[in-house]
Amino acid sequence: MSFATPWLLALLALLPLLWWLLRATPPAPKRAIFPPLRLLLGLHAPEETPARTPLWLLALRMLAAALLILGLAGPVLHPPRRLAGSGPVLLVIDNGWASAADWGALVAAARRLLARAALDHRPAALLATARGPDDGAPAATPPMRAALLGPRLAALHPQPWPPDRVASARALRPLRGRFGAVVYLADGLAGPGTARFARALAAAGPVREIRAPAPPVLLLPPRHTGDGLRLRLATLPAAFPRRLFVLAESGHGRALARRALTIAPGAAGATARLALPLALANRLDRLVLAGPPTAAGVVLLDRRFRRRLVGLASPDPARAMIPLAGDLYFLDRALAPTASLLRGSVAALLARHPAVLILADDPVPAGPGRTALAAWVRNGGLLLRFAGPLLAAHPDPLLPVALLPGERRLGGVLSWRTPRRLAPFPPASPFAGLHPSARVRVSRELLADPARLPAGAVWARLADGTPLITQARFGRGRIVLFHVSANAAWSDLPLSGLFPAMLQRLVALASGGAAMAGNAVLAPAETMDGFAVLGTPPPAARGLTAAALARARISPRHPPGLYGPAGARLELSLGAGVTAPVAAPPVPGARLLALGRPAPERALGPALVAAALALFLLDLIASLGLRGLLRPAAAALLLTFAAPAARAAAGVPKAALVDRLAYVVTGDPRVDALSRAGLAGLARFVDARTSALLAGPAAVVPGKSDLSLYPLLYWPITPAAPAPSPAAVAALNGFMGHGGILVIDTEGGDVTGAGSGAGFAPGVAAALQRATRGLDIPPLAPLTQAHVLAHSFYLLRAFPGRFAGARVWVAASGQRANDNVSPVILGANDWVAAWARRPGGGYAYATIPGGTWQRTLAFRFGVNLVMYALTGTYKADQIHVPAILRRLGR
Amino acid sequence: MTAAPAARARRAEALAACLPPLLVAAERVAATVAQGVHGRRKVGQGESFWQFRPFQHGDSVARIDWRQSAKSARIFVRESEWEAAQTVLLWRDASPSMAWRPEPGQESKQARAELLLLALAALVLRGGERVRLLGAAPHPASGRVALEALAETLAAAPPTAALPEPAGLPRHARLVAFGDFLAPPEETAAAIAALAAAPVAGQIVMVLDPAERAFPYQGRLRFAGPEGEGETLIARAEAVRGAYAERLAAQIGAVEQAARAVGWGFALHDRGQPPEAALLALYMGLDRGLYRGRVAGPARR
Repeated sequence: MSFATPWLLALLALLPLLWWLLRATPPAPKRAIFPPLRLLLGLHAPEETPARTPLWLLALRMLAAALLILGLAGPVLHPPRRLAGSGPVLLVIDNGWASAADWGALVAAARRLLARAALDHRPAALLATARGPDDGAPAATPPMRAALLGPRLAALHPQPWPPDRVASARALRPLRGRFGAVVYLADGLAGPGTARFARALAAAGPVREIRAPAPPVLLLPPRHTGDGLRLRLATLPAAFPRRLFVLAESGHGRALARRALTIAPGAAGATARLALPLALANRLDRLVLAGPPTAAGVVLLDRRFRRRLVGLASPDPARAMIPLAGDLYFLDRALAPTASLLRGSVAALLARHPAVLILADDPVPAGPGRTALAAWVRNGGLLLRFAGPLLAAHPDPLLPVALLPGERRLGGVLSWRTPRRLAPFPPASPFAGLHPSARVRVSRELLADPARLPAGAVWARLADGTPLITQARFGRGRIVLFHVSANAAWSDLPLSGLFPAMLQRLVALASGGAAMAGNAVLAPAETMDGFAVLGTPPPAARGLTAAALARARISPRHPPGLYGPAGARLELSLGAGVTAPVAAPPVPGARLLALGRPAPERALGPALVAAALALFLLDLIASLGLRGLLRPAAAALLLTFAAPAARAAAGVPKAALVDRLAYVVTGDPRVDALSRAGLAGLARFVDARTSALLAGPAAVVPGKSDLSLYPLLYWPITPAAPAPSPAAVAALNGFMGHGGILVIDTEGGDVTGAGSGAGFAPGVAAALQRATRGLDIPPLAPLTQAHVLAHSFYLLRAFPGRFAGARVWVAASGQRANDNVSPVILGANDWVAAWARRPGGGYAYATIPGGTWQRTLAFRFGVNLVMYALTGTYKADQIHVPAILRRLGR
Repeated sequence: MTAAPAARARRAEALAACLPPLLVAAERVAATVAQGVHGRRKVGQGESFWQFRPFQHGDSVARIDWRQSAKSARIFVRESEWEAAQTVLLWRDASPSMAWRPEPGQESKQARAELLLLALAALVLRGGERVRLLGAAPHPASGRVALEALAETLAAAPPTAALPEPAGLPRHARLVAFGDFLAPPEETAAAIAALAAAPVAGQIVMVLDPAERAFPYQGRLRFAGPEGEGETLIARAEAVRGAYAERLAAQIGAVEQAARAVGWGFALHDRGQPPEAALLALYMGLDRGLYRGRVAGPARR
């Protein structure tokens, strides 16, 4: 506890004087108007007792005065720590990417410092070290009242690039020695100019450096491995182990996988493998470090990481796709689940920038086509070729190894050697880990020239050591050759399950393809802010070519985000464009503090002053009362100001404010609970499907409750239903007579009844007669499809509830009274049981004979019932609307 | 705004309904041309038969009483008595002291005085006499409509002086003055004397509030007059109650004395009492003269 203006507390010493003064001054006398005043003039009371202020009023006033003085003195609970020295305070905040994770705590600490400076009446200046979105160099504000810096602090955001310490040091240079205290909220990372910046900081004044306890973590772009991605984290070594989670999210923000990464004490990073089924991997959109959202914790995965565009080149697509015989048939089947396939000529495919191009037994003749293909491979494309008779006859230079002329046949009529199996894959090949199936036999292949076979060119061999799959790097791309054909003519390989797995690994090898080529400048499309929210690029953002993108340093000119036109976006992630985190040494001579979250400071002054004012108000009322000037209305007015109390609109029945369905209480708790649940379920359905809004159902007792508030009354009749009292009969007759609709449901039928509920309620026919004796029930007729009730909302042919098939009775048409709306609807289908839901979910009763459709129809009948109760025969009149419109139009 | 005066008029009428119509005692009916119930014992306009006299040349033929003429050889003309109405002047004190009420919601003295005034007016009007509000209406009025007009005039009339003024008085009128008459007694006496010299016969009704009579105050109080008479601080109100009661009795006595001195009637009405009693007393006071007049006058048919 501390005080903003402690000298005000000295006023407390004046309280005894105030006491004496108040005690000595009598309260003002009551005032009275008196017409015969003339007769009173000159009259004097014989004895006058000294008039004194009552003690309780005195105590009240003293308390109010003491509270006022205390409140004005500005007490602060949990005040911020005192700042060293005197004179202006400089607040320096690193608002680069590394500060985003602890930004809230950072700003809170800055606010506390500013509050402390304000308490001490010290001016303050603010310097944020990161460049602004407009690439403006950091600049310190002039020293100003600390309270004025609050809005500036609120406007400060962490930027998705590192702080510019060189420019910050330049901004600090003119402020040498001008500050009594410098507080540096540091991110703890070193960068270019760190040492110079630290010196400039120390030169400005005595420094207090505050760092977040946990160093920032950077999620680096993942690396491709043969079967998935390797997640990589970079951070500063810490003395404690950290366990972090990386979420692999789809484009809709759904987490597809979660990987835990443990950073050991002293380690500067961690990695984990993320292998997803290809179907899932293709939906991968971004990797997110669990925790506060920061630009450093999000890596957007562009097309390079996802479903690859694979081109299947063929001069004659129809022939190539002949089932079981075509060159591309098996390739198409193997790749279709995991890659986007394109078909067409080589030239057409290259125009679409595929990641992988597959040529199956398709020699590339010399000419511009071969030149373009070679250029594409050099730029990072993966060319996958399969052998075949044509290739054997016309080898071209786009092959990984030199081939011996002719082909090798194993087995067959003229050969005594049997077809060969596959040897285990060499560990350096991308197929390492796949199990070569024993069933795969190779009967024909092209032979590589063993004399000119470079080391590492062979990714798969036959059991006798002859190369089956060879590869060679070609510029930034790669050419892979299968020495067998892509159909089953030369080997069983395309028939085996190994084939798709091998192809998928090969396709995964391909780097993005597409926009990797070309010198087109990719404009920034969407960039992240410090909290990893994608948005419009900042004004300073510039476009850059794909090649430059791979080497780009993150800065206001190149913020992390997506670049390029729609459909060919490339990602620049923060982790790829900043240097690995290096710990910055503390500012020389600085006091180093950890960023904490102390108890929030709380100014008690306003509350105390408010309490004092409330007491003064009380004193005013009491004084007015003592003087006889207090009118009840005035007191009420004062109290209204003092304590505004919400007055509930009393006296209005709840059912008068909103439509409610009602049911007649039978006294049987099971039946009543069912009625309640059923009508509640119906009300929910009606609310969801129609524009009518129903509140929860009401329980009514005819003769006691006011029935006039309800449009519809549900009356379940049980076999044990008693005859209603005369008052209840009169109330129900009044209800029906004034437009209410009474739904009588016998919840099943007598043994002799019709429908699926027959026999569920033996004796109910007698109960129905007993219960309805004395009611003004009009002549009834069966409810048919023609009745308004059958099309008041849904078009219905049947009116089932829990039971189906029993006839429903309504008033016979032609009743002039009540606009032909039937006042009573009599049925035995136990509708509420179909509508009722169990509290935990699901329905309370199964429908008989059953089915979802019966339940749906039951709800639809309920909606029609409610609509009928609310709108009457409106729908019957609607039929005439077209005719009326036609007549009006004419 | 017309509803409130109309309601007051109705209330006054209801109050007056329990008494028979009032024929104001008129010892000497004012020289007025209005027809009324007070016979002047000489020939004039009126409905009552006065005398037959022989037809003279110049009389209208229509005035010949043929039945009487048929009884003898001479021709007689029928003459009726000159009958005139008495005007009752009404006055009530509408100064701020009359509008005072000790507690909000209570009836003020002025309201009571106006109620009595209207009730009396209703009685007088039913008796066929004429009323006039002194100081407000220049002409007397009669009939049922007059009552409502009177109520309207009362509602719209501005505050008056605390005592009636003798300006514009017809001679030999009757005056009924309602007020609290809390002014110094000598002023009251002077005002009454001036009125009596008009000459006007009158009746003083002193309306007082129960709080003014009982002085129920306690404790330390600062009293102020409603008409800006100043203030006085009484330390213990209950201690001066006796002295005040004596002074009030002296005031009432002085006013009564001033009224009796010129032969006027005097009545004290407490606002806490029902108005019927005061109205009855007024009725008796005004009617007595008429009764006497009846005895003295010729028998009426």
